[in-house]
Formats: sequence, C-alpha cells, structure tokens
Amino acid sequence: MRQTTTTAAPMASGFAARRIGRPLQYVALACYVVFLGFPLLFLLLTAFKSSQELLSPNPTFLPESWNFDNFAGAIDKANLIRAATNSLIVAVLTTIIVTLISLPAAYALARFRTKLRTIATGWILLSQVFPFILIIIPLFLVLKQIGLINNLLGLVLVYTVWSLPFALWMLQGYVAGIPVELEEAGAMDGGSRLLILRRIVLPLLAPGLVATSLFTFIGSWNEFFFALVLIQDPKLQTLPLTLARFVGAEGQVQLGQLAAASLLATIPSLVFFAIIQRRLTSGLLSGAVKG
Amino acid sequence: MKRRAALAAGALAVAGVLTGCAFGGGGGTSSSQEPSAEGPVTLTFQSLAFQDTTIAATKEIVDSWNKDHPDITVKLQQGSWDNVHDQLVTQFQGGTAPDIIHDESADIAGFANQGYLADLKPYLSDDVVNAVSKDVWSTVTAQDGSVVAAPTLMQTYVVFANTDAFAAAGVPLPDGKELSWDDFQALAKKLTADGKYGIGWGLKSPTATVMNLALGFGGTFFDNNGGSSTIHVGDAELEVPKRINEMTYSDKSIDPVSLTQSGSDVLPGFFDGSYAMYVGGNYVAQQLTESAPKGFHWAVLPPLAGSEGTMQAANPQTMSVAAESKHVKQAAEFIDYFMNPTNQAKLAEGDWLIPASAPAREQVAKDTEGKNGWSAMLASGESLTAAPFQSAANYPQWKDQYATPSLQKFLANNISADDLKKQLTDGWAAVGG
Amino acid sequence: MSTSTLTRPVPPVAPPKRRRRNTGPNGGGRDAWLLVLPALIPVVLFSVYPLMQGILLGFTDSKAGLNAVVSFNGLENYARLAGNELFWNSFRIGLVWAFGVTALQFLASLGLALLLNLDLKFRGVARTLALVPWAMPPVVIAIMWRLMLNPSYGPINEAMRTVGFPGDINWLGSFSTALPAVIVVGVWAGMPQTTITLLAGLQNVPAELHEAAAIDGAGVLHRFWHVTLPALRPIIVAITTLDLIWNFNSFALVFVLTAGGPGGQTMLPMLFAYNEAFRYGEFGYAAAMGNVMVIVISVFLFLYLRGQARSRLS
Repeated sequence: MRQTTTTAAPMASGFAARRIGRPLQYVALACYVVFLGFPLLFLLLTAFKSSQELLSPNPTFLPESWNFDNFAGAIDKANLIRAATNSLIVAVLTTIIVTLISLPAAYALARFRTKLRTIATGWILLSQVFPFILIIIPLFLVLKQIGLINNLLGLVLVYTVWSLPFALWMLQGYVAGIPVELEEAGAMDGGSRLLILRRIVLPLLAPGLVATSLFTFIGSWNEFFFALVLIQDPKLQTLPLTLARFVGAEGQVQLGQLAAASLLATIPSLVFFAIIQRRLTSGLLSGAVKG
Repeated sequence: MKRRAALAAGALAVAGVLTGCAFGGGGGTSSSQEPSAEGPVTLTFQSLAFQDTTIAATKEIVDSWNKDHPDITVKLQQGSWDNVHDQLVTQFQGGTAPDIIHDESADIAGFANQGYLADLKPYLSDDVVNAVSKDVWSTVTAQDGSVVAAPTLMQTYVVFANTDAFAAAGVPLPDGKELSWDDFQALAKKLTADGKYGIGWGLKSPTATVMNLALGFGGTFFDNNGGSSTIHVGDAELEVPKRINEMTYSDKSIDPVSLTQSGSDVLPGFFDGSYAMYVGGNYVAQQLTESAPKGFHWAVLPPLAGSEGTMQAANPQTMSVAAESKHVKQAAEFIDYFMNPTNQAKLAEGDWLIPASAPAREQVAKDTEGKNGWSAMLASGESLTAAPFQSAANYPQWKDQYATPSLQKFLANNISADDLKKQLTDGWAAVGG
Repeated sequence: MSTSTLTRPVPPVAPPKRRRRNTGPNGGGRDAWLLVLPALIPVVLFSVYPLMQGILLGFTDSKAGLNAVVSFNGLENYARLAGNELFWNSFRIGLVWAFGVTALQFLASLGLALLLNLDLKFRGVARTLALVPWAMPPVVIAIMWRLMLNPSYGPINEAMRTVGFPGDINWLGSFSTALPAVIVVGVWAGMPQTTITLLAGLQNVPAELHEAAAIDGAGVLHRFWHVTLPALRPIIVAITTLDLIWNFNSFALVFVLTAGGPGGQTMLPMLFAYNEAFRYGEFGYAAAMGNVMVIVISVFLFLYLRGQARSRLS
C-alpha cells in the first residue's frame, strides 16, 4: 500500500504535454472501460431478458422487463444447487488443507536458508511449464488405484497439490515480511518457539493467510480441466463442468438461463476477489516486485 | 553427476511401477459375471435423453421396472450426447462405467473392439430379437459376432417447412411419397427472396448428415471386410455435399451462415421466418411443438430422395452393458424390458424418433394417428438401412479429425470437390484405416 | 493465466530482497524438513510422481482397451508424431495463439497500466474492471464471449449492422475469423495479471529518474523509452514469459469457445492431446505429444530468456 501514491503520474509532469495529452488519455481509458466492461454488462442484461425477447429479431439493449425467471430456470434445470454444493465442498476442503500444510512449509522456506528453498522455487517454476496432459493421465491412474476417480475427495487432493506452489510462494513472501527481530525478542523473553509462532507470527500473518486462502478458494472454484477428466458422475459435477455442459446441451438454446447460471457461478469468486484485490495489487506486489 | 544418477534411478523405479500396473489394465477388481449370489443388486443406467418428454418417459420406465423388480434396482444417471464418447473412454479406463450404457451404434464400434461391451446375445428374448430387422441388428454386431447393444430409436434427416412461408410465396406444399433432390433444390430457389433464404441448415457437424443422405445416391464411403475397412469417395459419395454447396453459392438458396451453426442455433431463424425450410433430425419436431411461437405452422415434407431412393443410414441409439459390470445378466434383463414395444413407443413419441422395433412403430402410428408429421417420419424410417460407416472402427476419429474439417471447408466454399475427395481419402489412411 | 487451470496469482517476480539467515538456535535444517514434510508428501505423490510417469508414458504404446498390455516402444511415438500433419498444424496454431495472445496482452496491458498510473478520474472504475476477468471461471468467460460473438443475436454483429457493415459473420464458426476471435478473448481473459504486474512495476520506477530526465528536457516519449521501459524490463520479461507458458498450455477457454473448431482452426495443442487421450484412447501417444510440447516451450523460453539476458548485459 505504501507505494501507491508516491510515484503516481510520473509521466504526466510537464504542463504542455498534459494539456494535449489529457483528452486523449481519457479517450483511451474509455476504450479500455468499454472493452473490459461491455461483455460483463451484456452478460448481466442477457440474464434478465425473457426468452421471447432474446429470440426477437430486433433485440433491445436493455431488457423490456426485468425478470428473474432465468435464474429460477437455471437453478432448476441445470442442477445449479447441486453443482454449487459440490464446488463449495471441493473449494473449502482444498482451501483448508492447503492453508494447513502450506503454513509451516512457508515458514520454513522463509526463515531457514536451506537447499529446500532452491528446490521449492525450482519446482514452483517448473510446474508451470509442464502441460497438464502429461500429468492427468498418470494421475488418473494413481487415483484409480486408491479409488478416488469420480470422487470429490480425489479432486480435493489434486487441487491441493496444484494450488500449493503458489500458496506457498505467496505465504512465504508474507512471512518474510515479518521482521525476525520480533521473534528474537520473543525468544529472549523466554517464550517457547511454538508460543512465539502462535502469539507473534500468526497474528501478523493473518491478512496474508486470508489472501492466500481466498486465492486458493477461487482457483479451485473456477477449475475446469482436472474436473473434466476426473469427474464422470453427473451428480458430482462441479459448477464449471455443469456450465460447460449447459452450453453444449443439444436442443433448445436457453441463452437467458445460461447467462443467469454463469452470473451466479461467478459471484462467490468475485466477492472473495473483491476482498483480497487491494492486498494483491499493493501488499504482495510491492513486497515481491521490489527485487 | 550425483544428481543425474539419482534422477536416473528414480526414473527406473517409476518405469517399474508403470509397466507393473499397466495403465489401462483392468485393475483386477471386477471381471465379468460372477453368477450373482442372490440378493439385491443395484445397476446404474446412464441415459442421454435430453428432451423433457423423453427424460420423463425414461424415468417412468425405470420406475416401473424398479417396482416390479425389488431385487434389481436401476439407478438413473443423466449423461449428455455432447461428451458421451470422451466420457465413456474415461469411464471404461477408470473402471467407473455405468452398468447400462446409452449411446449410438456409430459411436460404439471402437468400444466393442476394445472389449468394453458385453455380449447380449445370450440374454435377449426372442420377442426383442424378432422385433428388429436383421439389417439393424447388423449395426450393433461386432466382428466376432457378439451383439454388443440393443438398438432402440433411430433418426432420419427430414425437411421441415414453414407452411405460412410457402403460402405467402404461393408455393404449394409438396406431397407424395418422396421429394427428389432436384425438386427440393427448385423449391428452395422459389422460396428465396427479399433477404430470406429458402433453407436454413445447421451443418456445423456435417459428417453424420452427409453419411446418411449419401446413401440416397448410393454413396456408401466404406467397404468392410472382416476386421478392416477401406474408403472410397466417388461421385455418389460427393453428390450431397456438392448439391449443398451449389444451393448455397450458385442458387444462394441456403443461408451460408447457417451452415456454420448448430441446428439449435438455426432454429430461431426458422421460427422468425428467415428460412422457409429447415433440415434437421426428426427429433426437432419435439422442439417445434414445444417452443415454436404462437401462430407458427409447420409440416414435415416427404423424405428426400436421391438417384437411388430415400435410403438413409440406420444409426440407432443403443443400449449396451459394460463388460466389467458385475451384473451383466441383470443389466441385460433390464435392457430386454426396456426394449418391449410399449416402452419403445413411449420413448419414440417423447423424442419424435423412429423405433427400431416394428411392433413399437405400429404402436406409435396407432397412438399418434400419423398426425404432426408422424406419418412422413415413420415413412422415412421404412428405408433405413445399415451403412458401412457404422462398423468402421476408426470412424469417430476420422469424422472428428478429417471428415468434419474438410466438409466444413467444402461447405464454406474454401476447397474444391477434388480437394474434399483427397482429404477424406487421405484422412482415412492417416487414422490407420 | 487465463485458461488452463487453477487461477493463478500474480507471480511474485523476484524474491524478497531481505534474505534471512538461518535463525534457529538449534541448526534448523531438521526443523525445516519437518515443517515442509506435510506439503512435500502430497506434492511428491500427486505431482512429481505422476509427472515422471507421464513423461515415461510418452515412450509406451499405452492405449484404451480392456486388459490392454502396455510396453515401451522407444521413439516410435515420436516417429509417428513427426509424420502427423494435424499435430504440427495444431502446434502452429498453438504458437500463433500463445505468441499472439501474449504480445497483444502485453501491449494492451502496458497501455492500461500507464493510464492507471496517471492521475486520471475514473481510473478506479477501469482498475476494477480490469481485475474482474481474473476472478471469473474461464468457462464463464468463454460462455460470455460466445453470447457476444453469436452471429444472430450477439451485440458485436448487431453493432456492425448498425454501422452498416455486414452483420452476419459467425465469428467463432468461420475459418478466417475463428482464431483471431479466440485470441481476442484470450487477451481479455488474461489482461488482469499482466496489467497489475506492470502497474506495480511502474509504481516502483523511481520518480527521481523521471524528474532528472525531464530537467534534461526529454519529451514524454523519450522518457518512456529511455527511463520507464528499461526500469520495467525485468518485470516485463518475467510476466511475458509466464504469460507465454500459460497461454501455450491453456485449455478451458478454447475448449468451451470452439472445442477446436471449425475444422481444427483453433485446435490448440492441449486440446489436440486431450482428444488423442480421452476421445481416441491413445494415452501413450498423447503423453508423447505432451513431451514434445514441453521441449518446444522450453526451447522458446531458453532462447527468449537468453536473448533478454544478453541484451541486458550489452
């Protein structure tokens, strides 16, 4: 946060440049707002249009009447509730597990300078390069052997492993941001290590912990590829799967319902994202980028 | 150096595990029928029914079975036509396939060859066997003679007409036993005017349509001899795509955009009068009755006839049993029940499809009194024949990777008929024949 | 990120400057291992091990089939791949997609980041909007753009009709427009990470540098080119590298948008390999494709990063 204001507008100094440049800058900004915002607005409006209106040859931009039928229809037809429950179970469990196991590991990575750190960093970067197709086939086999194919727990396991690199990386950044002196001071006061961790480190780490867990949640909530391969039973489908099926569904196109379902599915990640976005853009980065 | 050695050792260890557990090996849990010790059995049945009416009909059949068979409970599970192939590949591989599998004959030849489908021959009753023609049974018979599925419903491609548009253009609705392609073409031209097209044809996935309609010109595409199939693409095979191309780009009576869309995307244009005719599977009739705007009047035109007649491929939907199912016998019993004429008629009426079973067809004719286009549709079902493509094992891959792209290109007027011929032929070689 | 799988946070571009030495009074090495163990076990079991297996699988003839036997077949898969025109075509599409999206994404994001770094009104709105795609499931992004690009009722064609252009283009369905359309969606979906990273970078460019240059009489463009860009360089390299990898490996977005169609025009390598494995049951062959993808992307990365490192030195 500390960085946001100090260097704002370094480019616009110079009065002459500003006078010519300003209107152009606003035009450019407006273009970005349209490009980024219009699809969202359109999705929103579509969700409120009746099916007659959507199929009419002369569509109006705003819905003639705002109706919520599409939301009801989507929930009913696409089994949205069941899918959302599945997604919720998977995302919550993943988040809990990831947080629990990445916390000690992140602490170790940040505080102890061992080979581990190099290996972990290497793995985090390397794991990005490998296409998922290489992993999914054998993973499918491993999960089959332990009976976790077509099983939400299997999905939790996979998401845990694949959210871990970034969760670890984020968290260790936050740990590194906590001055060691505080811990040393605690140790001098005779506190045991565990006590120091609980009393001093954890409270300071809380905001970072929240950000990391919400990030993990969003990642699992949105994930598609692993779910596509690992979940076959329609009853166990997560939201992205259900939505993808809904698009492909043969027969009549229910655009309004599709839009409504998509909106509903986005709400949780959007809310969580809103909570952490400040932190993402300032806290994490100004710490991390300043290398 | 040390690190490299360690890596190599690790790789070897992994290799051992890999070959040891042979990815794809049956896992050993279940090998087919143990003569099930008496006791209640639960079977999963993955249905692909997607229209509300058929879903309801399927549920009804399952419910009544469950009521009569307290010891064999069938659990209904909903699948989707869009991804059934991928889904089955994964399910068979993971050992999680449902006991009773709904699919279509052109899609299951490969699974049959891979040994995933149980032979139903020992379990099907004579009534069921005799109700379906030999020709249709041949579409679900594997190379080794085992019957890998029971054929249920069949679709044909039919021409739907907006009768008001015909009236407005002063064009009489064609009647008679069949509609020749020449007449169809002339009709489309007459109905094209004022920015409206004679035909909207959702041909985003053109292969199945072309395979089916080509039979009317004697275009069979494949020769199956024993285990392998060879392709031949000649004038007869190319006639249908050529005509569609001509109608689109010379006559301009087919909307070229519709050719790039799916059938359901084109339907709104048919409803709002942009197209006087719409070509699609006969199941679309269900959507017409259900969701056409008020005051929209439609009819089914007589079946399209090529030089050889109105033949189309009998590519029935199928009911199979997974070979790895622990209760093959019970699952087959359910299929036998599912196949009885009353049930088949119920499903056919829900989906507006043609039952493979002759007694069921009679039942449908009686129930519907031939109204709402039923007589034309049932008539088109008379000339369904087995087509070689259904038994060509690599057909699904050839269709995805070669036939569909080249047909799409040809229908977009991007390549010539000769290119199309070459790509279809070379493609078959590339997927390994 | 966009598309391939788990939503990714902005990459922490460089490790924190303040490195701490081993502080544990009693060595710490063993403690460290103990603390890391709970994370290490699942990673090894469900990520390192499958990955190793996956690589090896690329040298086998593993196929779908009941009780199918798997055996090593050396380089056979690769010989077969060499002659597989469709695969190489898909590779070409994948590279066009990955480089196209990455480059456009970078330019668009840099522009936006520069604007957001100015003291403009409403920049909060733009910033918020720029972040939204990040939170959206790729599947939803794809659905949304399918609605936008629909030939009959999509607003894009509608707008074109209003302006007097032919408004009946099936963007995702016709051969010439499908790949460009998909690339635009890819740019939209991936802009947040890039923008935010670049913005953070811009905010860390010391203001004194600009002031000094301004006093020397340097114009805006001159300062951008000679002060801002060089200062941003490490961040640009890092984010474009990651974007490139993510885009090359992306899946969900295009899977839902076009599933590779029409006629394979948008068949990204990941989609191609997915089909090979889970439609046609060619598991070994698909894994071989994955191996080739790793090698190609590594080569590109190597060349790119080496190029960057060299020009930085010179």
